[in-house]
Amino acid sequence: MKQSPDMQKLEQMLRSSVLVVGGFMGDDPRPVSEIIDEDAATLARLGVTAKQVAARMQEITDAAIKGLGNWVIVDAGREAMVEEARGAIFCPWSDARHFRKRVTIVKFAPSGKQVQWSDLNIHLIGMHTFFEGRGSCFRIEPAELVTFLF
Amino acid sequence: MIVTTLISVLVVSAIAAALAALLALSEYFLANYGPCKLTINDDKEITVEGGSSVLASLVQEKIFIPSACGGRGTCGLCKLKILEGAGPLLPTEEPFLDKAERESNTRLSCQVKVRNDLELAVPKELLAIQEYTCTCAEIIDLTYDIKLLRFKLIEPATMDYIPGHYVQLLTPPYGKSRQEVYRAYSIASDPADKSIIDLIIRLVPGGICTTWCFEHLKVGDEVRINGPYGDFRLSETDAPIVYIAGGSGMAPIRCMLFHMQNTANKRKAVYFFGANAPDELFMGDEMQQFEKDLADYRYVPVVARPPEDSKWDGETGLVTEAVQRGLKDAPQYEAYLCGSPGMIDAAVEVLKGLGVEEANIFYDKFA
Repeated sequence: MKQSPDMQKLEQMLRSSVLVVGGFMGDDPRPVSEIIDEDAATLARLGVTAKQVAARMQEITDAAIKGLGNWVIVDAGREAMVEEARGAIFCPWSDARHFRKRVTIVKFAPSGKQVQWSDLNIHLIGMHTFFEGRGSCFRIEPAELVTFLF
Repeated sequence: MIVTTLISVLVVSAIAAALAALLALSEYFLANYGPCKLTINDDKEITVEGGSSVLASLVQEKIFIPSACGGRGTCGLCKLKILEGAGPLLPTEEPFLDKAERESNTRLSCQVKVRNDLELAVPKELLAIQEYTCTCAEIIDLTYDIKLLRFKLIEPATMDYIPGHYVQLLTPPYGKSRQEVYRAYSIASDPADKSIIDLIIRLVPGGICTTWCFEHLKVGDEVRINGPYGDFRLSETDAPIVYIAGGSGMAPIRCMLFHMQNTANKRKAVYFFGANAPDELFMGDEMQQFEKDLADYRYVPVVARPPEDSKWDGETGLVTEAVQRGLKDAPQYEAYLCGSPGMIDAAVEVLKGLGVEEANIFYDKFA
């Protein structure tokens, strides 16, 4: 399907390294609308919404912030910490939202699995159902994330 | 039928070509702003070619305005008063400007285009900023995600800075990153040697500049920095000092400690430095050496949660908790903080709770 000029502009921004190294799409050849549709379908199969996923991520980030850069126990088995850098990063959707350059790193001791997301990721998932393209620095597979979070 | 189709294609192509030509002509005549005059502080006049941002136009004239995002309108650092000619406020500027700033014609210089003559108010200290060419002389791993980068200045050969100042490091285009990007880092070096600039840099996942520093920058490479910037600095009082930092927030504090040593400063000082684990406490030997070299200085490393098998016997918990426990006679102190906004906010609250006057709390926030 042919993309609108706005979607083409967005796709160009997401594939560029203007905001983050390697862009938001990684080496994923699928158009952004396809990535969003497939990930939304995955969430629907799992019975959760993107807003619920984002809310849970935000809950963990809020708990981690209290550690001032150190690991804190979030709940049974989960530990998290935040790292911050100078500056802010804009949402590529041009909705005039900007976010601290803050990354939350979460460890789940029973599985040994570790996941990280930025404040922008929470917004991209909650507002745009965008989990980023495969191969990008912050891509999180929705199914894995849901298992990890809930 | 075929002839009709061909004629239709030709007509459509001709219309498209005519529209493209019209667009190109409009671009040439309407978006060509020609030479524009920038009047700075009612004093200096420079002429630039219109069409670029104010920030970029000033950089071409070697006038450097702080910018941590390379002119993308994401850091809000490049604020300038544009007294005449800037046009209406843009939506990309709004989040960064409060009411007072809007009323005083403060704008983001990276967002305002030079389309006509402009009158600017540039703080005098920024007119003294210079660009420096230097060589990467050394790269030292401090922790798994923090490095010390040492730069030897080439031209100019020395930089006059005040401990607490920061510089902007230019990241050249690399990989898919096609633009030059500046990022701000506090100076960490011993100010006795003005030809060396040390930076302490923590890897930011997905960060354009830090990824370049960690994966591409090599000893011997030529790099460009500009500076010095900032108003974070030691006061000239005799009040005792409490330093509080974590991670790469070590940078300006280290520089200030060297400065105290070089100037035989007798002020009482205590430094609380926080980390997750003992192996993330770096430069410990140097910090302990200052205990011997400075008149009245104590270094307090704080580990959030030492591993169970660790032999750590120092302070534990959050760095703010250690300050709460360990800072006696707090109201006498001046506090100097460097770290993440979360750490700074928490430290300010703790210090105020201990009786330190807010006016005596100074910080370099990573924001």
